[in-house]
Amino acid sequence: MIYFDNAATTKVKPEEVYKAFEYYVREIGVSPGRGSYSLGISASRMLYQVRKKIGIFFGLENSTNVIFTKNSTEAINLFFHGFLKTGDHVVISCYEHNAVLRPLHYLKSIGMIDYSVIQRNDLELSPEELLEKYAKTNTKVLALTLASNLTGRIIYKSEIFEEAKKRNITTFLDASQGAGKMSLSMKNGQIDYLVFTGHKDLMGLPGTGGLCCRDKEEITPLLQGGTGIFGDAYMNPKVFPEGLEAGTLNMPAIWALGAAIDFCQQNRNEIYKKEKELTELLLEQLSTIKNIIIYDYGFDRLGVVGFNIDGCSSDEIVKYLDTWGICTRGGIHCAILAHEALKTVKTGAVRVSVSSFNAVDEVYEFIDILRRLGD
Amino acid sequence: MNIAFYSTNEVFAGEEKLKQNDIACEIVPTPDKYCGVCIETEEEEAVSILEGMEFHIIRKGE
Repeated sequence: MIYFDNAATTKVKPEEVYKAFEYYVREIGVSPGRGSYSLGISASRMLYQVRKKIGIFFGLENSTNVIFTKNSTEAINLFFHGFLKTGDHVVISCYEHNAVLRPLHYLKSIGMIDYSVIQRNDLELSPEELLEKYAKTNTKVLALTLASNLTGRIIYKSEIFEEAKKRNITTFLDASQGAGKMSLSMKNGQIDYLVFTGHKDLMGLPGTGGLCCRDKEEITPLLQGGTGIFGDAYMNPKVFPEGLEAGTLNMPAIWALGAAIDFCQQNRNEIYKKEKELTELLLEQLSTIKNIIIYDYGFDRLGVVGFNIDGCSSDEIVKYLDTWGICTRGGIHCAILAHEALKTVKTGAVRVSVSSFNAVDEVYEFIDILRRLGD
Repeated sequence: MNIAFYSTNEVFAGEEKLKQNDIACEIVPTPDKYCGVCIETEEEEAVSILEGMEFHIIRKGE
């Protein structure tokens, strides 16, 4: 089997991740922030250690300004529902995942906020021109994805956030794609909020994600419930971060995420080099296939490539590849705005996404099998 | 004395700060107000080291 759907979830994890998960489940096995017995204290300390590790990884000045969620979708919803107020306006790009689009569209549908979508061609404008065109007097947030989950194109540019900050606009980065591969730092003050998920490029397990906050601004909790503190209050306490983390945290996966981050940090150069090599080979080989359309071909990208072959639907191609044991993804990829921008709503697209655990031989085998489809 | 916080996260941040300053301390269960665990230390210097954090001192019997 060849697994080329790493943009959905990285299937192969570093060995350390499996070991950390097993260690937590077998040796600790209790929840943090609850019991004050020795094992409970150990669990709470481990939670603190991973929280801090993530904060340092993303360059937070206050390294524990990290709120854990079960994925980036929850973190995005926590931010939009908890931060935006009636009358606010948000600017997003046409490459945003539905996890960004849908909460905003919902808030718009109930008359609370409005949002504008930066069109594909306008992403080439200078930051000043871009915000002159899309920002309004009531623009509260500029939310951009780090990279497209459909084409791999890198969307985030620090200069755009810099310009937004000059206009007192809060900046929000969806780093679901690319966190762990691209070096990001919240230290320079351009990124106010950053969302990550554990199970993609960070190579952790599903069920972990979070919101990194430059400052402890007040965010309304998404969930009300047990927080392990202020048990006598009828609502979540206004205590950061526990007041925003109601319910039992997925601590076995959080502990494993700590191991994944160690791995990413220790091997960052090798991971980058390997994925760059695989992606360049993939692009070079794909471009030799008859009637192929590769989306966002000339742009800087992560290890993700979206394409179509004239005369075939993306679903047909994905099904054909699956018969050869190759896992790719067709359809809309939860990215309707990007498909609208690329005019591929009817056909969908085939997405191939590599990880540093893939091999050069797998790319050649994939290309060989894909070429047979054309023949 | 016990140094209590409202946030568990702050308890461990406080402990880390004290240990960086060679203050002997440990995390213990909290003795009408706080999160379930707190810092226990005999060293008065801990109070000035933790300045800037929101904490409360519980002495035997503040």
